[in-house]
Amino acid sequence: MTLTSLAFRNFGRNRFRAFLTVAAVAVSIVAFLLLRTVVWAWASGAEWSAKDRIVTRHKVTFVIWLPKHYIDIVRQAPHIKTATWATWFGAKDPKREHEFFTSLAVDPATYFDVYNEVDVAPEALETWKHDRQGAIVGDALAKKLGWKVGDRITLKSGIFPGDWAFNIDAIYTARAKSVDRSTLLFSWTYLNESLRDRQRDMIGWMVSRVDDPAHVAEIGVALDKRFEDLDTPTLSQDEGTFNASFLAMFSAILGALDIISAVILGIMTLIVGNTIAMGVRERTQEFGVLRAIGFMPGHIAFWIVVEAMVMALVGGLVGVAVAFPFINYGVGRFIEENMGSMFPYFRLETANIVLALVVSALLGAVASGIPAMRASRTRVIDAVRRVA
Amino acid sequence: MTDDTNRAGGHAAPAEGKAPIVQLRSVSKTYTRGEEAVHVLDGLDFDVEAGSFEALMGPSGSGKTTLLNLIAGLDRPTSGSVEVVGKRLDGLGEGALAKWRSSTIGFVFQSFNLLPVLTALENVELPLLLTHLGSAERKTRARTALRIVGLEDRVQHFPRQLSGGQEQRVAIARAIVNDPTILVADEPTGDLDRKSADDVLGLLETLNKELGKTVLMVTHDPAAAERAKIIRRLDKGRLAS
Repeated sequence: MTLTSLAFRNFGRNRFRAFLTVAAVAVSIVAFLLLRTVVWAWASGAEWSAKDRIVTRHKVTFVIWLPKHYIDIVRQAPHIKTATWATWFGAKDPKREHEFFTSLAVDPATYFDVYNEVDVAPEALETWKHDRQGAIVGDALAKKLGWKVGDRITLKSGIFPGDWAFNIDAIYTARAKSVDRSTLLFSWTYLNESLRDRQRDMIGWMVSRVDDPAHVAEIGVALDKRFEDLDTPTLSQDEGTFNASFLAMFSAILGALDIISAVILGIMTLIVGNTIAMGVRERTQEFGVLRAIGFMPGHIAFWIVVEAMVMALVGGLVGVAVAFPFINYGVGRFIEENMGSMFPYFRLETANIVLALVVSALLGAVASGIPAMRASRTRVIDAVRRVA
Repeated sequence: MTDDTNRAGGHAAPAEGKAPIVQLRSVSKTYTRGEEAVHVLDGLDFDVEAGSFEALMGPSGSGKTTLLNLIAGLDRPTSGSVEVVGKRLDGLGEGALAKWRSSTIGFVFQSFNLLPVLTALENVELPLLLTHLGSAERKTRARTALRIVGLEDRVQHFPRQLSGGQEQRVAIARAIVNDPTILVADEPTGDLDRKSADDVLGLLETLNKELGKTVLMVTHDPAAAERAKIIRRLDKGRLAS
């Protein structure tokens, strides 16, 4: 037996109360981890972005299209290894209109040269490249909507009227966490040919790979210079900045999630503090006896703080044990399949687990601060007098 | 064995020729309750000789527990001096006092106050955590203390598995495990039936006679006081007899 083991033993003293407190902490930690994973998954899209990719869009917004011949100018610019383009299509499955997924009209010949972190079977890719109505879809989307190679599907678009028929030629998988596995890609030519004359030969944005990632910002500025005197000026950003600017639109939401996380931890601290305060009050006589036989105020404070830390840490461990399967095998998969464009990889990260456990233990210590201080400051005689 | 003379009237000073182990001189203790000052002890002189077994009796509020607390180093006098086992306590700091208590005083309380999460052996071992003894030596000493109180077959029992009398004997084992010079017992039989009370008092007698422990016991129970060598009576903060 040691002073520390004595503190551990005290944890299970009132088992029902300890169970309720541990359960409350565990629920708090599950909620905390879920929110942290949302924030982390959202923000890490920018971190995972390719360092050698530049996105060029209209200077005002990527909703405004660019002339298609811009891609030729980009391809001729110095330091550009390869370039492709895409246009937002806004597809919906008429049978399941509430299911959101990203759909892009792209250049089949070059798209996967620029996005080479995607795996597609070579034969299937070749089929798609030569199929005017061919579509290639992410494995998560195919699984969600029940599509398989060889299927003929009809979609609608929120932007382009009419029925759009596609052949599922290939299913891609991801080699990187940043890849959205819920996207549908099809040939831009199919879209372009279906548009009225005045809408033709326009593209949404361009994406290039450069040969000098260290100077990607300067290369982007040089690209924009080429277009500044034309009718449609551009803004070129490295992919990380582009993703971050997209995320900036949601910064208020991320901030709100952080505040909610703090509130949850605050509630958790109050619950632990209340449990510890009750236990300490009930044991005032016992602390008096311990002080009488020679233990110091620091020993009393130590026991109370360690007991609270153990209680909060056990709650944290239970919370992690529940959150891990809940996020990684439940809600995480659901989010990746249904909100893959925003959360391509929604999993519980080790860093967040460590953070949750450290925060649990620290807040346990904080929660016990006042009870520990009061118990250790109680005069021996006042505590013992309750016995005598 | 009892001292008829002392029991009949009570003496403030020990028998001539024996050095007092406890010496209180002009000790006063005043508590403040709200704005009212309560004088619990009033200029008390009090000596106890080594190896004595004394019972302190008196009505509630007479100051007997306060006197015991001063002798045990749990409280400080408002004025006067308290010297126990050759040490002036009224000048010691909190830390020094705690250290002194752990090595000199053994406490027995009315409601036992064993830690419910610890076995009998671990409860007895508890005061030894403040020493530099190793785990094995601590356990050996705790077992010895439990054997002295007759509970060597209950070492792994938790307090809830023991009777009240057994719990109090474990508490006594905890009190003697550090080999203290003085045992202070505040109503040690107050929560026990007659049979268990007799066992505990017999144990205190044994510790006094065979191990030479000085025992100071506060009690309301005349039958318990009869087991002491000396009975002191306090009334309104003074020795009444």
